Amino acid sequence: MPRIVREADIDWEGTTARGSGVVRAVSTKSFELSATIAARVDVIEGKTSPEELLAAAHATCFVASLGSELARLGAPPEHMHVRCTITMDEVEGAGHRIVASDISASAVVPGADAETFATAARAADEGCTFSALIRASATVNIQAVLEEGRS
Amino acid sequence: MADRTAHVTWSGSLMEGDGTITSVDSGALGPLDVTWAARAEGDSAGLTSPEELIAAAHAACFSMALSHDLAQAGTSPERLDVTATVTFVPGTGITKSALTVRGTVPGLNEAAFLEAAEAAKVGCPVSKALAAVPEITLEASLA
Repeated sequence: MPRIVREADIDWEGTTARGSGVVRAVSTKSFELSATIAARVDVIEGKTSPEELLAAAHATCFVASLGSELARLGAPPEHMHVRCTITMDEVEGAGHRIVASDISASAVVPGADAETFATAARAADEGCTFSALIRASATVNIQAVLEEGRS
Repeated sequence: MADRTAHVTWSGSLMEGDGTITSVDSGALGPLDVTWAARAEGDSAGLTSPEELIAAAHAACFSMALSHDLAQAGTSPERLDVTATVTFVPGTGITKSALTVRGTVPGLNEAAFLEAAEAAKVGCPVSKALAAVPEITLEASLA
C-alpha cells in the first residue's frame, strides 16, 4: 500500500486569547473552518476546535473500521451511525490532556446477531488506527448497539 | 473540562460504500463526505479523511499553544502560518505528523522563536495525544 499524506493548515492572527484562526484542508479543500480559543473552552456556534476535529477523525476512522470488520464476518452493514465525544481536561502536573474518547455506534446489519456485531465492534476498535494512537494518552470507550432492520 | 462531539454515518461496505460526517457540536463543519478511496488513494479532491482531520486538529492545537506561549513571554505574534502533514500507511497506521510554522513576531529573534515553537510542539494537547506516532517533526522560521 502506498503512503498516504494529508495536509491541513491554519493561519492564526494575534494572540491565543484574543486572536482567531482559519483551518483549511489543504489536500482536499473539503473544509475551511474558523477556530478560536474561546470555542475550545465553550461550545461556540460555527467555530471549531482541535478536540472537535479529533472527534470527527475518530468517528470517521471507527466507522470505516466497523464496516470493514462486519464485511469480513459476512454481514456487510446497510447503515451505521457513530458518535464520538473527545474530552480534554486539566491533569495535575501534566497540564491540559486529552483524557477520553467515547464512541457510540449503532448500525443496521442484515444477517448479523448481537454477538457478531459485538465481535465486529471490538475488532473495529483494535483495527482503527486512531483508537490505537489515542490510547497512549486517553481512555477509549466503545458502546455498540445493533438496530432492527428497516424494510 | 471540554467535551466535543462529532457524528458520522456510513452506508454499505468499506470499499464501495460511503460516509458522511453529518455534524459536530459547534456546527462549524459538516456535512463532509468520506470514502475509503479518498482516504487511501491519491484522488481525494473534495473528500476529507481521518488523517486530514487529525492534521487540522494538530495544526490548530499547535498554533494556539505557540501563540499562547509567545504572549506569555511578552512577544505576542502578529501572525502564525502553520501546516501539519499527517502520513498514513494502510496496515501500519499513522507514521508521521510534520509541523511547519512561519511566524511574524515583533521583537523576537529566530533562536527564541525556535525554542518557543519546540516547546509548543511538545506541550500542545494534540501532540501529547499523538505521542504514539513514531515521528513528529517541526520546521520553524520567522517571516
